[in-house]
Amino acid sequence: MSQQSNNEEPRPEIPTSGVVYGDIIYWGTIASAIIAVIGQIISFLTPNSAISPSILLAKIWEGKKVDGIWAGSGMARPEGEHWYIAQLATGEGLTMFGIALGVFIVIPAILASAYTMFTREGRPFFGVLAIIAALITIASFMGLLPSPMTAG
Amino acid sequence: MQTLMKKVPELSILIGLSIVAYFVMGAFNQVEDAAGLTGDGAFVLVLASFVLSTMIAIIAVIAGVGGGVLFTPIMMAFTSIDTLIIRSTGLVVAMFSGLVSSGPFMRKGLADVKIVFYCAIPIILGGMLGSYAAIALSEVMGAQGDAIVRLLLGLILVFIAILFIVGGSNTEYPEVKKVSPFSAWVNLKGAYYEESLGQVVHYQSTRVGLGGLLFLLVGFTGGFFGLGGGWAVVPVLNLVMTTPLKVSAAGSGVLLAMGNSAAIWPYIKYGALIAALAAPWMLGQVIGGIMGAHILARVKANFIRYVLIVLLFLTSFKLIARGLETMLGIDIPVL
Repeated sequence: MSQQSNNEEPRPEIPTSGVVYGDIIYWGTIASAIIAVIGQIISFLTPNSAISPSILLAKIWEGKKVDGIWAGSGMARPEGEHWYIAQLATGEGLTMFGIALGVFIVIPAILASAYTMFTREGRPFFGVLAIIAALITIASFMGLLPSPMTAG
Repeated sequence: MQTLMKKVPELSILIGLSIVAYFVMGAFNQVEDAAGLTGDGAFVLVLASFVLSTMIAIIAVIAGVGGGVLFTPIMMAFTSIDTLIIRSTGLVVAMFSGLVSSGPFMRKGLADVKIVFYCAIPIILGGMLGSYAAIALSEVMGAQGDAIVRLLLGLILVFIAILFIVGGSNTEYPEVKKVSPFSAWVNLKGAYYEESLGQVVHYQSTRVGLGGLLFLLVGFTGGFFGLGGGWAVVPVLNLVMTTPLKVSAAGSGVLLAMGNSAAIWPYIKYGALIAALAAPWMLGQVIGGIMGAHILARVKANFIRYVLIVLLFLTSFKLIARGLETMLGIDIPVL
């Protein structure tokens, strides 16, 4: 059996579930990039910032391990939490929030796409697959799986 | 370029914002000096990262891979940055190049939402397991762990480069000889309008069980090494699951973003993703990704593929050499 092509057929309808997913992701990514840029500006324009970007960058380029990089930067290494939420007033915290928003946006996009599959397109099987994919990502976001990492 | 700006006004906003942002950051920089890095030095590092990231994103999009395939190996081979930091940033690089391409691919109907959600589960699971394994290895083995990662990544790069050389075996419209009962049950059938032919192309993916298993492996490799998995997603969809090349390439970008989103959270929560380093790379991927996707039609993709192959081989030699140096305690004069 070969993949068939047909030049008399009208263009196939583009699934709404795909468009919904793509649009949420696209605009969410652009919003997250803008927030990250604003965060970076704040980082560089704040004298004696609570979390110093120069200390972080210097230690990163020295080749320090994760613990060593955070030591002396103004904040201890995060230990399994969404640390940037409590640091939104700092440039570094806002920048991290922007990046995290871009990573997070996948979850509502998958759920909205699944909803469209259930309600408008009548594709329950793929809707269920989408829900499972979203649940695994939520488990990772919330840190529900046992972690191999230790503090300190 | 002007047409591109008119076609994608959000790109103009992002580029304009970036130019203003970096001008303001450079002109009114208040960052204090740190040991070994002045405030101005920090700004130069951030600006250089942004420019380099934009260039990598354009090359990666044209070559049909995620930016992580270039970022992670080059940084691991040629800098002394901790491999865990590089891998977490590499995932951001890979993910954001996939994120920006998801919208256009879905709107044009090139990425098949059914294929995407079927393949998403194994790739997300694999990616998460890979990132957990990377963190565990870093904690348990330290420098030896880094050496193993460099050596393995070097070998994988050789494999990817060979995959690119024999990439001609990718088939535009693969022949489907037999549809297994499981593939028929999952029913990954679809159709898209092929502009170059002026026709609707129908397809049906097969060997979906084997494809699912391979995606678990692709996800693990991407999450563990911080590569993303774009380089492997297209061959699995196209050569194994007999999905047309265009649908495979579009699906690859979408799957890359989805898979990496689960893989990044363990790194963020561990503190291994540092915004000061990752943000300019992320921004460069967004801008370069949009630009690359739109100039793709006007450049000779083959030339970019040759550049990529040379880069992959050179970087792999350096990675293998650095890995062996640390593991065996010897000095190998390469590059």
